[in-house]
Amino acid sequence: MKLNRSKIRPLLLLGLMVTLLTVLSGCGDNLAQQDVMARVKRTNHITWGVKNDTRLFGLMNIKTGEIEGFDVDIATAISQEIFGKDVDVKFVPVTSNTRLPLLKNGNIDALAATMTITPERKKEIMFSDTYFNAGQAIMVKKGSKIKSVKDLTSGTKVLGLQGSNSVANIKKYAPDAKVLQLADTAQAFTALKSGQGDAMTSDNGILYGLNRDDPNYQVVGGTFTNEPYGIGMNKGQEKFAKAVNQALKKIEADGTYQKIVDKWFSKVAGFDGSVIK
Amino acid sequence: MISILTTYWPDFVEGLKYTLSASILALIGSLIIGLIFALFVINPLKPLRVIGHVYIEIFRNIPLLVVAMFFYIVMPQFIPHLDGFTAGTIGLIIYTSAFIAETIRAGIESVDLGQMEAARSNGMTYLQAMRYIVLPQALKIVIPPLGNQFVNLVKNSSVLAFLAGFDLMYQGNLIASTTFKTTDTYLAVGLLYLILTMPLSYFMRYLEKRWSQGTAE
Amino acid sequence: MSMIEFHSVDKYYGKFHALKDINLTIERGEIISIIGPSGSGKSTLLRTINGLERISSGKLIVDNFDLADSKTNMNKIRKNVGMVFQHFNLYANKTVLENITLGPIKVLKKSKAEAEADANKLLSLVGLTDQAAKLPSMLSGGQKQRIAIARSLAMKPKAILFDEPTSALDPEVIGDVLEVMRKVAKQGMTMIVVTHEMGFAREVGNRVIFMADGQIREDSHQPQEFFAHPQDSRAKEFLGKIIHNS
Repeated sequence: MKLNRSKIRPLLLLGLMVTLLTVLSGCGDNLAQQDVMARVKRTNHITWGVKNDTRLFGLMNIKTGEIEGFDVDIATAISQEIFGKDVDVKFVPVTSNTRLPLLKNGNIDALAATMTITPERKKEIMFSDTYFNAGQAIMVKKGSKIKSVKDLTSGTKVLGLQGSNSVANIKKYAPDAKVLQLADTAQAFTALKSGQGDAMTSDNGILYGLNRDDPNYQVVGGTFTNEPYGIGMNKGQEKFAKAVNQALKKIEADGTYQKIVDKWFSKVAGFDGSVIK
Repeated sequence: MISILTTYWPDFVEGLKYTLSASILALIGSLIIGLIFALFVINPLKPLRVIGHVYIEIFRNIPLLVVAMFFYIVMPQFIPHLDGFTAGTIGLIIYTSAFIAETIRAGIESVDLGQMEAARSNGMTYLQAMRYIVLPQALKIVIPPLGNQFVNLVKNSSVLAFLAGFDLMYQGNLIASTTFKTTDTYLAVGLLYLILTMPLSYFMRYLEKRWSQGTAE
Repeated sequence: MSMIEFHSVDKYYGKFHALKDINLTIERGEIISIIGPSGSGKSTLLRTINGLERISSGKLIVDNFDLADSKTNMNKIRKNVGMVFQHFNLYANKTVLENITLGPIKVLKKSKAEAEADANKLLSLVGLTDQAAKLPSMLSGGQKQRIAIARSLAMKPKAILFDEPTSALDPEVIGDVLEVMRKVAKQGMTMIVVTHEMGFAREVGNRVIFMADGQIREDSHQPQEFFAHPQDSRAKEFLGKIIHNS
């Protein structure tokens, strides 16, 4: 009898935990459902998720502690357009892997984080109109035999970012290559530098940013997909989405958008101007 | 959570395979290396003692992620083809071995000094005395804390996820980022880790009970 | 050639002077009792003989090996010089039989069968044949010490060192252990015994060394005479107390 009981106990414990976990997983998120327009007007605070490891789009300036880049400036411009010049814009760093959960849990109000508009993501969140047209490319060490995505044959390793659209794409364009997914851009690039992969794939703008850090690497073969970036918002925030789209049109019309584009991309060698909206 | 488990079952199985292999390799490796450094620390020759202490203190006090990253990022310059799985497993071995060395050292030192003296007086060499007399007794004392180390090791193998090591956590990350069902995915991952670690805990407890029946003098 | 020779041996623990200018020659077959108050250096002296303690200066020759020489292989000396401890130190993880056979098998490279045959003879010598399969933890103190002596004998040593072999025993079992020691003495074994058993020292021993404060104060080849008429003042005082107490 006693022996039986001691054998059952671990099973009981396991069952209890499974139940607990299942209950937990059913818990909902309320903060994300609050109307952003109303709340920001009341509190004068808006929180954006941006990258902090991606040069040109969102990169932490170690000296000032501020995140700087195209996405950051666009987010600021949109916020000021909607809520006025005095609105307090806060930035929270996200990675490709954490950006959707953070948005859906209500930690952030909107995302400007090099995020391509895709049908899969549209099931989860809402997108604004396209605010930047990127395209996927690959980057290799100078002198590499790999000249384009076609050279990524079996036996080659491609480094990508967990949760990025580019990883899904590369499996289509280079089905024989082994894909290794790392947590963020900086890690993927470090892994490329230490020889963990033969090439790194991401959006061209991101790769050009890395290229500026280290000229021993180059983007090869041009873009092989279109990656339209959109502002990400939670479902149910129709009012906010409408305001964001209006704001986008407004800053395009008054030249603010072009100023931001020039600020970040005019000096990037090899960057094809046509990819910008 | 159940639907995530069933839909992505092959990916979870793949992850389990890598997690399990890394854990088993690291368990054996860290036990051997840990034992060697424990012997370094307690042996009479000072240079070896110093080496042992330095090794233990360094790797016990550096985060596992840093050790693993070192092997992933820095070592490939010297050793080509050191992939994420290998680098992570080496990192795990080295990190865990420092703790195991400390555990075994404490176990050895808790064995009565008279046992060593008697064995030496019996004509045995230092290594013979260790092997036949001191270590078997130390091992008995060391099994419960060693069990904790092993369970920690399995959990710590999730460091592979940062090195694209295809383990359970890595697969979880990928599934979470493609399905966007983050909560469910990580709950499933947690459950699978439990399935790995709980039997290990119970097995160590069983060993502990069985071994303690041969009582000490 | 003498079995053991101390020439001006000193031993320090840090600043503590544990052995002071020890000069001593021990011949084969001698049965020596070392007595003296606690802290007098008896055990230290004993432990230098098989290298459990290193000497600080002087010369110590055991079985033609120079113990001060770092090239000397201690294992060779220990193979020939056994030791019996106050707290027995039986291998806790081995059975009684294994305690006796382990040394012969691992050190003398005897076959298991041969070692066990020898061990059984020794078990009957110490009167514990029926305990062979037990673990040490199941034995009484007196039984443990008799096994420890058998373990020592199994190595067929040239000498055995006894470090207070009866001090940790209940009075009623001391006799059994002394009985075994007498048997060993009769076989002609060289025995050096640190002891408080004055009876053994007087009747079995053929030489008594009295130590105090790390020095040999008296060295007598006539134990009966020594106990009747000690010469050294410290020895007189010591024996006076012992007799008074018993």
